[in-house]
Amino acid sequence: MSEMSRTVQTPSADGREVLLSVRDLAVTFYQGRKEFKAVSDVNFDVYKGETFALVGESGSGKTTIGRAIIRINPTSAGDVIFQGKKINQKLSKEDNRWVIRNIQMVFQDPAASLNERATVDYIVSEGLTNFHLYKDEEERKKKVVDALESVGLLQEHASRYPHEFSGGQRQRIGIARAMIMEPTLLIADEPISALDVSIRAQVLNLLNQFKAEKGLTQIFIAHDLSVVRYISDRIAVIHKGRIVELATTEELFRNCLHPYTQSLMSAIPLPDPQIEKEKKLKVYDEAMHDYTTDKPSFQEIKPGHFIWANSAEMEKYRSEIR
Amino acid sequence: MMESADSKFRLVKMDDTASEHINAPKYSYWAAVFKKFLSKKSTIVIMVIALTVIFLSVFDPIISGYDPVVHQNINNASMKFLHPSLKYLFGTNDLGDNLWNVVWMGARNSLGIAFMATAITTTLGVVVGAVWGYSKSMDKWMLEIYNIVANVPFTLVVFVLMYVMGRGIWQLIFAMSVTSWLNTAYFIRVQVLIIRDREYNLASRCLGTSTWNIVKNNILPYLISVIVTSVSRDVPSFISMEVFLAWLGIGVGEKTPSLGKTISGNRTFMTNTPYLFWIPVAVSAVITISLYVAGQSLADAADPRTHM
Amino acid sequence: MSENNNPILQASDIVVQFQVRSRMLTAIRNVSVDLYEDETLAIVGESGSGKSVFTKTFTGMLETNGSVPQGKVMFEGQNLLDIKDDAGWEKIRGRKIATIFQDPMTSLNPIIPIGRQITEVIEKHQGKSPSEAKKEAIELMNDVGIYNAEKRFDEYPFQYSGGMRQRIVIAIALACHPKILICDEPTTALDVTIQAQIIRLIKDLQKQYNYTIIFITHDLGVVANVADRVAVMYAGQIIEIGKVEEIFYDPKHPYTWGLLSSLPQLGIKGEPLYAIHGTPPSLYDKIKGDAFAPRNPYAMQIDFEEEPPMFKVTDTHYAKTWLLDPRAPKVVPPVQVSTLHERMKQVLTAEEEQMHE
Repeated sequence: MSEMSRTVQTPSADGREVLLSVRDLAVTFYQGRKEFKAVSDVNFDVYKGETFALVGESGSGKTTIGRAIIRINPTSAGDVIFQGKKINQKLSKEDNRWVIRNIQMVFQDPAASLNERATVDYIVSEGLTNFHLYKDEEERKKKVVDALESVGLLQEHASRYPHEFSGGQRQRIGIARAMIMEPTLLIADEPISALDVSIRAQVLNLLNQFKAEKGLTQIFIAHDLSVVRYISDRIAVIHKGRIVELATTEELFRNCLHPYTQSLMSAIPLPDPQIEKEKKLKVYDEAMHDYTTDKPSFQEIKPGHFIWANSAEMEKYRSEIR
Repeated sequence: MMESADSKFRLVKMDDTASEHINAPKYSYWAAVFKKFLSKKSTIVIMVIALTVIFLSVFDPIISGYDPVVHQNINNASMKFLHPSLKYLFGTNDLGDNLWNVVWMGARNSLGIAFMATAITTTLGVVVGAVWGYSKSMDKWMLEIYNIVANVPFTLVVFVLMYVMGRGIWQLIFAMSVTSWLNTAYFIRVQVLIIRDREYNLASRCLGTSTWNIVKNNILPYLISVIVTSVSRDVPSFISMEVFLAWLGIGVGEKTPSLGKTISGNRTFMTNTPYLFWIPVAVSAVITISLYVAGQSLADAADPRTHM
Repeated sequence: MSENNNPILQASDIVVQFQVRSRMLTAIRNVSVDLYEDETLAIVGESGSGKSVFTKTFTGMLETNGSVPQGKVMFEGQNLLDIKDDAGWEKIRGRKIATIFQDPMTSLNPIIPIGRQITEVIEKHQGKSPSEAKKEAIELMNDVGIYNAEKRFDEYPFQYSGGMRQRIVIAIALACHPKILICDEPTTALDVTIQAQIIRLIKDLQKQYNYTIIFITHDLGVVANVADRVAVMYAGQIIEIGKVEEIFYDPKHPYTWGLLSSLPQLGIKGEPLYAIHGTPPSLYDKIKGDAFAPRNPYAMQIDFEEEPPMFKVTDTHYAKTWLLDPRAPKVVPPVQVSTLHERMKQVLTAEEEQMHE
C-alpha cells in the first residue's frame, strides 16, 4: 500500500526491457511573470517494442509531453531517461547525435509539417544529410527511394513538391522522413487526426507494419480512445497535465476506474446505431475530488494499473475492481 | 449492347499503384512565378512603363551629352522657356536646357539613390530580422531597442544627419538607410515569428538541422514574397523621400541633378510656365507608381499559395 | 421520430459548379433527396465529397463563383433555387432553415455581447420588442444549458469556452424556430466529451422545438448516434441512402463497405485494417462511369464505362452500384462489415458494466 510515485514500474517485472523512462516530469510555460503548468507529476515507462498511447483532450498536455521527450520543449523538473541515459539536459555533440538518430517524430498536420519550397527528396533525406549517414550520392538516393517505397510511395515522387500530394500521401512522406533515420523510438503526435477517415487506416497499418517488421517502439499521442484501442498495448489517460490512469489496453477498457476515464469512454461514439441509441453519457465533474487534506498521488492499484487518487478514493476504487 | 453486357459484369483486378501516380506536370517554382506574373495584361503594361522609365534614365544622359554643370544655352535667350513641342518634348527651362535631358538625368540619380538605399536597407534588414525573429533570446533585448528607436521621428534624424554630414549623394543614402533598415528588420521579424514554430521547422530541429540551415532552407525561401513586397515599397518610398527632402533644401549636393532638385527648383515657375514644374512631378509620380505596382504583382506571383 | 410520408423539402437533380480561375469544378453531380418532417438525416462523406456544398444550396450560401445550373429545391411550395436576391433569402435563411457551423470561434461576433447576438435575431425575424426578446433569449440560453443565463447574458464570446459558444450558436439558430436545422460538422472542433453533450443537446431540443435535422459529418460513430436516415456521399453524388440500421447492418455500396471496414473501432489488434487505396477523383474533369471504380476492389468492367443508376434495396434503402444489377456476380461484403454488430457488442461488454452503473 505504499505510495510508489518514484519508481513506477519495476523494469524486470516481466523481463521486458525499458526503453524510455519518464520520472516526475513537469513542464511549465512562462509569459512574463505568469506561469502555466502544462504538465506535472508525469511518470511512466515505455517498454521496447510496444506501442504506448498518451490520450487526452485538447490542452491536456499530451503534445507537450511528446515534445519534451524529443527535446523540442525544455522541461522544468523531472527526468527523461532513454536507454539509461538522462536526455532532458544539455548533451554533448555525440550524445545529441545519438538521441536524434534514435528518437524521431511524426507530426499532426500534413499541411504544415513539410517544407513547401523543398522537394520530397530534400525533405526525406534532411536527417541523413545532417549527419552524412551515407557513403556517396548514389547510396543517399537509394536510401530515399527505399524509404519512399516502404511507405507506399513511388520513386518518381522524389522530385515533386509537397503541395502536389494529397493529405494521406504527405503524412506518409513525413513518416518516411522519420523512418529513414532508423529510430528505435517513434513519437507519433496525433498522426491521423487531420486525415480523412478512409486514409487513416493506411497510416495505422503502416505504423503497425513497422512495429512488426522492425520492432519499432512507439508513443502514440491521440485524443480518440477508440483508435488507441486498436493500435496500442498500454494507455495513459491525461487530464490537465496529469496522468490520471495508466494500464494495458484490455485492462483499461475492462476496468477503468478514474471518473475522467469513464466519462471519456462513455463519450466515444461507436459506429453501431443500436448500441449508440441505448448508451448513457457520463459527465466528469472535477469538483467531485476533495484534495484539501487528503493529497493524491500516482498509485498502483493492480499490477500494471495505476491511478491518480488520494487514499480515500483508492479505497473506493478497490471496491469497484472486477 | 446486351450481347456482351454480361462480360462487362466480371470483376476487374485493381492496380494498387495506379492511384498513387501524379498526372500533373512537374512544378517549378520560378516558372510558376513567371507565369503568374505575366498572366494579367495590366501587369504587362505596368512592367513596360517601369522598364521604359528605367531605360530612359540610364541611356538618355549618355546619348544626349547633357552637362549639368556647363549650361550650353545659358546665354541664348531664344532657347529659354520654350513650351513642350515635338522638338522639345518637355520644353526647355530657365537656363535653356532641354527639360527632357534634365529630367532623365535627375531620374537616373534619384533612382540610383533609391536602389542603393533599398539594397542596403533590405540586406541589413533581412539578415538582422531573420535572426531576430528566429532567436528567442535576441528577441527580448532587440525589441526593447526597437521600441525606443522606432519612436524617434525619422525626419528629425535625417535632418540632423544631413546637417552634420552636409549635402551629397552618399550622405543622403546613408541617412535614408540608417533610418529605414530597422523597420525592415522588424517587418521581417514578424514574418519569421509567424513561421518559426510551424511544424516543418520543428521537424527540421528534430532531424538535427543547424539553425543556419533552417534559416537558409526553411525560412528564407518563404520570405521571398515578403522581401519583394518590402523592396517594391522601399524604392518608390525613397524616391518620394528624396523629393521631399530636396523641397526642404537638403539632400543631394549643389552640382548633382535629381528629380527632387528639379521639382523644388522649378516651383517658382508654377504660375507662368507651369509645365516646368508639373512635368517633373508627373514623371516622378509615374516612376513611383509603376515601380510599386510592378513590385506588388511580383510579390503576389512569388507567393506559392497563388500558384495552386 | 414520426415518419410522415410528407417530405418537407425535396431536392431533385441538383448540379453545382464552381468557376475556379479558368477551370470549372463540378462539385455536385446530379443529386436528389427528400427530407421528411422531424427526422434526422445524416450526410456522411469525406473532404471533397460535396456534403457541405450541397446543403448550401438550401440557404443560398454558395460562394460567389458557384452556380446551380440545374435542379430544383422544393420547400413550402416554392423552388428555393428561384430566389435570386438577398431579400428573398432573408425569409428563408435563419428563419425557416438555420445553419450551425463547425467553428464556434468564428461563428460569433467577438465584439458584441452574447445576449445581444441572440436578441438581434429574435427582434429581426419575429418583430418582438427588446424586453420580450431578452426574456426569450434567456429562456433559450437556459434550454441550451447555459447556467446563470441572466448573468452571462452580457458577457462576450471570449469569456465562454468552445462548448459553450457552440451552445450559443445553437440558441441563435433556434431563436426563430426553424423548420430545418442544418448542422455542418458542429462538433468536429470540440473535445470528445463536449461533442457528446452537444449532440445530445441538439437531439433533445429537436423534440421540444420540432425541427428536422440535416447532420453533416465524416464521423460514422456520430452518425450512428444521431441519425434516423443516412446519405453517403462520394465525389459529388449520393451513392447510398437508407435508414441508419440498413446502412450500418446491411450496406450495399463498396465505398460504404470501405468506410465501415476501415474503422479502427472494428479492427482486431494485430491484423491490418482494411484501407481504401488511392484518392478521390478530380472533379475538374468529366468522370466516366462510376467515380469510385479506380479504388473499388469489387470493380467490374462496366463500372469504368457507365455510371450506375440508383438500385432499390428496400423502400427506404437505395444504392448506386452496378453490384446490385441482377447480372452482377454475387459479392459478399468484407467480414468486418458483415460482423459489425457482433464486434461492437464485444467492445460494449467490456465497457457495459461501467456505463450501466
